[in-house]
Amino acid sequence: MPLPPASGTGRYFVKAAKSIRLIRQGCTNRPFFHISVTHRKRLNSQPVIEQLGSYDPMPNFNNEKLVALNLERIKFWLGHGAHVSPPVAELLGLAGFFPIHPRSYMTAWRNRRTERENSEKQKEAEAAAKTADAA
Amino acid sequence: MISRNSILKRTWPMLLQCAEAHRKPRWLPVAKSKIYRIPKRPVVSEEERIELLRINNNYKTQMRAIRRFYHEEMIKERSTLESASSEMSQRLEAEEWERCVQLNDKWNAQVAAEREERRKKEFEKMEEYALARIEAKDKELKEKIAQASERIRRQKELSTTFITPETLDEAIDHALANPTDYNFAIDLEGQQYLGRDIPIPSKEQKRKAAENN
Repeated sequence: MPLPPASGTGRYFVKAAKSIRLIRQGCTNRPFFHISVTHRKRLNSQPVIEQLGSYDPMPNFNNEKLVALNLERIKFWLGHGAHVSPPVAELLGLAGFFPIHPRSYMTAWRNRRTERENSEKQKEAEAAAKTADAA
Repeated sequence: MISRNSILKRTWPMLLQCAEAHRKPRWLPVAKSKIYRIPKRPVVSEEERIELLRINNNYKTQMRAIRRFYHEEMIKERSTLESASSEMSQRLEAEEWERCVQLNDKWNAQVAAEREERRKKEFEKMEEYALARIEAKDKELKEKIAQASERIRRQKELSTTFITPETLDEAIDHALANPTDYNFAIDLEGQQYLGRDIPIPSKEQKRKAAENN
């Protein structure tokens, strides 16, 4: 008995709430996501309505994380009032389709802060080593 | 009665992988070692909180606008689809179609010209290649013929010495009259002594011969 296709069955209830979300399709230690529209109350293991793109979170040979988006269909489903999950909203923000998601800003400034602190610590350690050498 | 279609096109898969298979069942109590553990709350500074609030509010406002835009667009599209059957839109569509066909024809003609040119070039190349091959083949054949004729000429020259049925008796007589002995002996200095019946000189005889000389 064949399983329903991961690219979507195309069957949905018109009045039910839809959600555009990442659906994990990889295997152990190899994450890969489909960006799919599905009913909001459905589990990620259940068949989706339609696949709208894909996201490969592992950097490839050129240090790129590849994202594919079917913007026309995303527009269609947004027009029909589909909700967008935060990770997908972040991806769409980085793609320039939405405004940049606040969480992207937050992670960025937090990363910058930790980096700055680490560099300061390193400098202090170096200075301490120098004074120890001089003494 | 379950129809075949309802099984094939079902929304719920027959097999379900349980995500909680490796987790503790929900009804088990907190582990003894974790009873008094209080998870640490994330600390967000006041400054950061205000900034987050601000950008979140901005984001929500913008997203609402985007959503409304796409929703309105959807409604507009639906209404245009409904009004597409009017005479005006039909005429517009026909004009658009005409324009597209003309453009398509133009492109087709362009591509056809390019294709013709390319095919001509390809045909010329093919012809050249075939001619070169024919020439090479001819040359090879000629060489072969020359070699064969040379071999024939040599054999003809040799054929004067062949033994034929007519000259067989004569050849036999000749062979019997002139027997040849190919046997020979060889000594340590590498000298050949042809024939079977020649006596080999002893060392003394040799020395004498040397003295005489």
